[in-house]
This record gives sequence, structure tokens and C-alpha cells, in this order.
Amino acid sequence: MRTHFDVFGLPRAYDVDVPALEKHYRELSLQSHPDRVAQADARERLKALENTTALNEAFKTLKDPVRRAFYLLKLHGVDLDREDAGAQKDMPLEFLEEVMELREALDGAMEKKDLARVQTMGGQVQGRRKAALDEAAGVLRALEGGGPAEEAPAQVRKASHALGRVRYFTRFLEQVDAFEEESLS
Amino acid sequence: MSKNGYLQIHDPLKPKGQAVGIDLGTTHSLVAAVAQGKPRCVPVDEGDSLLLPSVVHYGKDGGVITGARARTLAGEHPTDTIASVKRYMGRGPDDAETRKLSHYKFVPGANVVRFDVAGGNPVTPIEVSGEILRALKRRAEAHFSMKVEQAVITVPAYFDDAQRQATKDAGRLAGLEVLRLLNEPTAAALAYGLDKGSQGTFAVYDLGGGTFDISILKLVDGVFEVKSTGGDSALGGDDFDRAIASQVFQALGINEPSPSIVAQTLAASRKAKEALTDAPEATVTVGGQSHTVKRADFDAWIQPLVNKTGLVCRRALKDAGVAAGELDGVILVGGSTRVPAVRRFVAELFGREPLGDIDPDQVVALGAAVQADLLTNEDRQDEVLLLDVIPLSLGLETMGGITEKLIQRNSTIPTAAAQVFTTFKDGQTGLDVHVVQGERELVEDNRSLARFTLSGIPPLAAGMARVEVRFQVDADGILSVAAKEQSTGAEQSITVKPSHGLTEEEIERMLLDSIEYAEDDIQARQLREQRVDAERVLAEADRQLREHGTLVQGDERAAIDAALAKVRETAQGKDYLKLKEAVHALDETCRPFIERVMNQAITQVVAGQSVEDY
Repeated sequence: MRTHFDVFGLPRAYDVDVPALEKHYRELSLQSHPDRVAQADARERLKALENTTALNEAFKTLKDPVRRAFYLLKLHGVDLDREDAGAQKDMPLEFLEEVMELREALDGAMEKKDLARVQTMGGQVQGRRKAALDEAAGVLRALEGGGPAEEAPAQVRKASHALGRVRYFTRFLEQVDAFEEESLS
Repeated sequence: MSKNGYLQIHDPLKPKGQAVGIDLGTTHSLVAAVAQGKPRCVPVDEGDSLLLPSVVHYGKDGGVITGARARTLAGEHPTDTIASVKRYMGRGPDDAETRKLSHYKFVPGANVVRFDVAGGNPVTPIEVSGEILRALKRRAEAHFSMKVEQAVITVPAYFDDAQRQATKDAGRLAGLEVLRLLNEPTAAALAYGLDKGSQGTFAVYDLGGGTFDISILKLVDGVFEVKSTGGDSALGGDDFDRAIASQVFQALGINEPSPSIVAQTLAASRKAKEALTDAPEATVTVGGQSHTVKRADFDAWIQPLVNKTGLVCRRALKDAGVAAGELDGVILVGGSTRVPAVRRFVAELFGREPLGDIDPDQVVALGAAVQADLLTNEDRQDEVLLLDVIPLSLGLETMGGITEKLIQRNSTIPTAAAQVFTTFKDGQTGLDVHVVQGERELVEDNRSLARFTLSGIPPLAAGMARVEVRFQVDADGILSVAAKEQSTGAEQSITVKPSHGLTEEEIERMLLDSIEYAEDDIQARQLREQRVDAERVLAEADRQLREHGTLVQGDERAAIDAALAKVRETAQGKDYLKLKEAVHALDETCRPFIERVMNQAITQVVAGQSVEDY
């Protein structure tokens, strides 16, 4: 299977030089974009469409540290993007309880239209999301670095839990954003 | 046409004619093309105006009139004269937009808006827009004396799939190959960017007659990357006119005005709005009664509308991950940005004075012309590339009327996403899919794009058949759908029923209809083209005779003069075939003479070289 890393001729790794990736993306776009073959026959145009679609998908995934982490985890067989993924049910119970409490507190603050309180909570969750992502990044670096094979399943599980937390926190922050936007309008 | 005649060697016609850029606007439309390396707008209406009012009048005799002349007929024939048709593109009869203050008669039923106009058949917004495009195409052809068959047409960045598809269909009806649908703000940036060779991050604030758009773009190494875009496809200068009109009605105590009074008042309100750009007050007269509008009052009435744009701008900046202070420039587009209150608001919002040195009415058409040139002119292929984004998320309806997003807004296009559907009943052979566009959680709050049925699924136990549906969005932002059953690998047939568009069959029928009455047009066009051809041949023959008259032999001169006279004579007539024959005859008569001219030229070149060799 052709991975997003293959599209850019990069080795599979958590760390990516994003400015270099952006430059490479622009070069590849200049080569393969459908606008380059606007006057060519249908087959060539279709090929350009497919290549550029794949290039855009790869770029979007690799330039963003969160998407990149989820993608690497997916390459290890855990797809957290899918709603019905068993991996989600696998989250530790105490974390799910904590998330429930956080959500209730947020709902309460939003009901009272307490923008300051909502923003404070947003700031705290932002910090926790970053910590969770850093943890996932550390595990993914170790995984891609090629440690002992027998440790891999435990590592994957660890990364999956950390990214599961990232996912919950992201949803939380989306709600905060929506509320902020509404309050400002 | 004898493209390779002896007299025409120096000036071969471009194979596909002149590619143009078209700004199909709510209030007016423009066409531009790149000539001698610079984009220029083409005169398209009375008095060599570059702006064709986007107004189409349908007469009782079935005749169609566009532009300023159509606009003068609006007062007398309010329901047969369609203005601001862009607002209705890709919309259904029940849309909020369709139900706004207006004076049109709509044909009830159907999923597409149909205007009840004089001359027989009701017309859809696609056909009305097609008439505008056809007028622009004809006038550009007359201007360039060349065929115009390929065009880049601009659309508001915020147009959804149905609105884009409708615009593309309108282009087809007008006989244009739509090279690309280009987002208006991107076009504007292109017009600015290439002239100045600048790099950096720009915001394009585009407030037109009927739509508002904001785009954040980054230009690096010749690649224009749209970082984010946002807008409101139902907010623009027309709403300013309505705000004035409503206040005037209230002030003058006019209740339930007739369609004709509404049309007149809206026109008078527009004039007042334009006057208020420079004057502190303006007067609106309705049926003999007058009301004076002060600029401060006008500013207050439109403030809520202007504030709405601010919210959209902040979201676009956030989506792009850019702070207002990091921008290298703010570009103003659209006639409504001439309103002083709007300029003040933009300057305040972005903390800098916006750029406005290209005419905000022309800038989009000029950018579209640049893109048309980039797409068709091989010499320019590697100069600049545009990377646009999809303005609204694409999703599917799931259980309970919830939207599941498949493609997030502001994803760079082309892009694609796949979704696997499983059957939920034993032996189920069909599956209904509903595609929507928008950011809201509930399906009913988003725009319905299409419904389709996946049929021919092999009858298996519930959950066993798995159908993968692939959604592809092309560089124009238009969606196509393909499906495959995973266990058998069989491609599924999909019939997409657009929620607010025309089916392929309807478009084809309209195309056939338009060809019937286009026959006269073709005759006229061929005559025009043949005349241009004849002029060129005559000029070339005169030049050769003047410069190389000594090479004419014997009684050749009399024959050439006779052939020249014949071309001049038939060029006055209306029969393009006769003219074509005469041009061909002249070509043949001149052949021996021209061969001598060329031989002499070659001998001179060879002689020149041998001198250099010594």
C-alpha cells in the first residue's frame, strides 16, 4: 500500500520537517495539478485528478502533528477516526468518568452564559490535550524507531489511549469554540 | 476556412479561439481576456460599457433582451424581467432566499426555481444565467473577431455544490466549455498578485450585490494557496437596497406595495445608496412621494448586515491559523465595498487600510482572464498555480437525521473521501444515501445536495454486504459519486437526483432547444469571421504587391486585381460561402507570385549566411 509518506518519498516517522514538506508540496502540485493538463485528453486529466487528490490528502495528514499521529496509529491497525471502532470502548473507565464530569461542568457554565468560566476551562483542557499529544508522540517515536517486537502491542495500546484522550479533549474544545463564536455574534 | 492559405501563413488563428474570463455577477457581469500579456475587460453593453447589467428580459414574442436595455424594461414588465438571478442559482422554491422581498412570479412545484415569464415557457435560473453568458460570449467574439468557446467563470467562494453545478450548466447552455470555476476572491488575488509579483498572506473581502465572501490566501513560490474561505451566499448590496426600501415604505406609510412599486423603489434605493457614497443625504421618490435618507441613518440600517461579515471574517482567520496583524494586505472586491461604512468596518476589523487600486468592479473578471490564459497558453503553464478549497463540509445523513461529515470545509481540492455502508436487513439489495453540505449537526439545517439509491447489492445476510461509496470533489469544487460492493467488487449503479438542480436529461433537452434558434447566430458569426479573414488576406496581398511589385509577371496583375475586387465585393454581401470562395480564388491566383516572393527571401537568407561564413 502506498502511504502518505511514500507520496513525498519520506521515511515513515513521527517527526516531519513541515517547512520542507510545504515546499515539496508546492513543487509536486505544480507538476501534477489538473490545471496543468487542462487542454489534455480525458485520461490524462483523470490521472492528474487522482494524483493531486492523493497528494492533498497526504499533505493534509502529514503537516498536522495531530492528524499525523492518528495516521501512524492507523498504520499500526487502530483507526480512531471510525465512530464504531472498538478502540474507543477500550478507554480506561476513570478517564471516561472524568470526561463526563468535565462536560457537565462545561454545560453548566454555558447555560449560565459564563464566558469567562468557559474560557478558563478551555485553557485547562488545551494544556491537557497538549500533554496527551506529547505522550502519544513519544510512544510513536519509540514505535517507529524499531524497538523489540514483543513490546509493540503494549506501545500501540498506550498510543491509542493517549490519542483517545486527545480526541475527547478536541471535541471539548470544539464546543468551547462554538460557544465563544456564538457569544461574540 | 482556409487557415493555411499562402497569404495567411503569418497569422494562424488560435485553434480554439480566444479563452476568456467571466465574472457572472449578481448585479452585473463582465468578460475579460489577456491580450498582449495584459488582462483587459471587453466592452459588452451600450456606450462601450464594460459592465453588462445581469438583467434578462423575456418578451411576449419570445425574444430575449439582456443588459441595460433589459433593465429599462423592469419597471414596465417587472415579472418578465429577471435581475439578480444569481441569488436563485441552485436554490429550491422553498428556500429562504427565494421567499425574500421580490416581484417575480414563480411556477409552483418542482425542485428548481422557475420564473413565470412572458413568451411561453417558464425559465430556470440556469437558463437566465445562460442568456447572460451567451450575450457576453457574443460580444467578446465581436470584439476579438474570433471564436470564444472556452471560459473560466467565477463563483463566490461560498457557493455550494448545487450552485456551482448550476453555474457550470449555464455555461454549457451558452455554448461555452467551462475550463474552470474559479472562486471570486482567488480571482481577485490573482489579478493583484501577478501584477505586483508579491509574496505573502492576503485577505480578500468581497461584498457584491448578492453575496459576501472572505478568503485568506498565501502566495509562495508561484503557488496561490487558499488557506480558508467563508461567506454568506445571501448577503450583499441588494440587502442594503432592501433596507432602504423597507424604511421608505414605512416612512411613507405604503403597505402591500405592488410588484411594480417594489421594483421602482428598489431601483431608486440603489441610486440613493450609490449617491450616499459621496453625499451626506439622498432622496428616494416613490409614486410622487419623496423621502430623504441621511447617510448616518443608512449606516445604522446596514450595520447589522455589515456586522455579520465581521463574524465570518474572524472565523476565516481562525481557520487559516492567521492573526489579523500577520496579514500583508487586504484586498477589496465588489461594488458594495464602495460604501464608506463598509470600508471603515474593514479597516477597523483588520487594523489596516485595504488595497483598492484595481477597480473593484473589474478585478474579478481580470483575474479570471489571467487564469483562462494560464490554462490555455502553453508558454505560461509553469508560472502560477491556484490551490482552492471546498467552502463547506460535505456529509451524509445518518440515523436520526444527524450529519456525519466526510470532507471538512477548507480542505484543499481536489479531494476525496470514502465511506463503507453495510446492509441492516437480510437480503437487502438497495440502500438510500442522502448527501448534504454545511456545518450544522442536524441534516435539516444543512443544504440537501442529492439523494441516491445504491441498487443491485447482492442479497446477503444483514451486515454482510459492504458498499464503499467514494466521494470525489474536483478542482471546480463539484462532487461526483462512485460505489463498489466490497465482497463482489461489483461497481454499483448510482442515479443522483440533485435536490435543487437539473438532471442531465433536462440540460440536454435545453441544449437541443437552444441549438434550434442558434442557427441564425451561426450564420451571422461565420459571416463575421469570414469578413475578418478577408480583410487580413486583402491587407497581406496589398503589402506583398507594394513591397515586391517587381516580381509580378506578364498579365498576372490584371488577374490579381480582379480577384481582389471580387473579395471586396462579396465582403459587402451576406453570403459567407461566396466570400470564402472569393478568398480561396484570390489565394490561388496569388500563389505563383507569392512563391517567387518566398524564393527570393530564401535566396537572400542563404546569401546572407554565406557572407557571414567568409
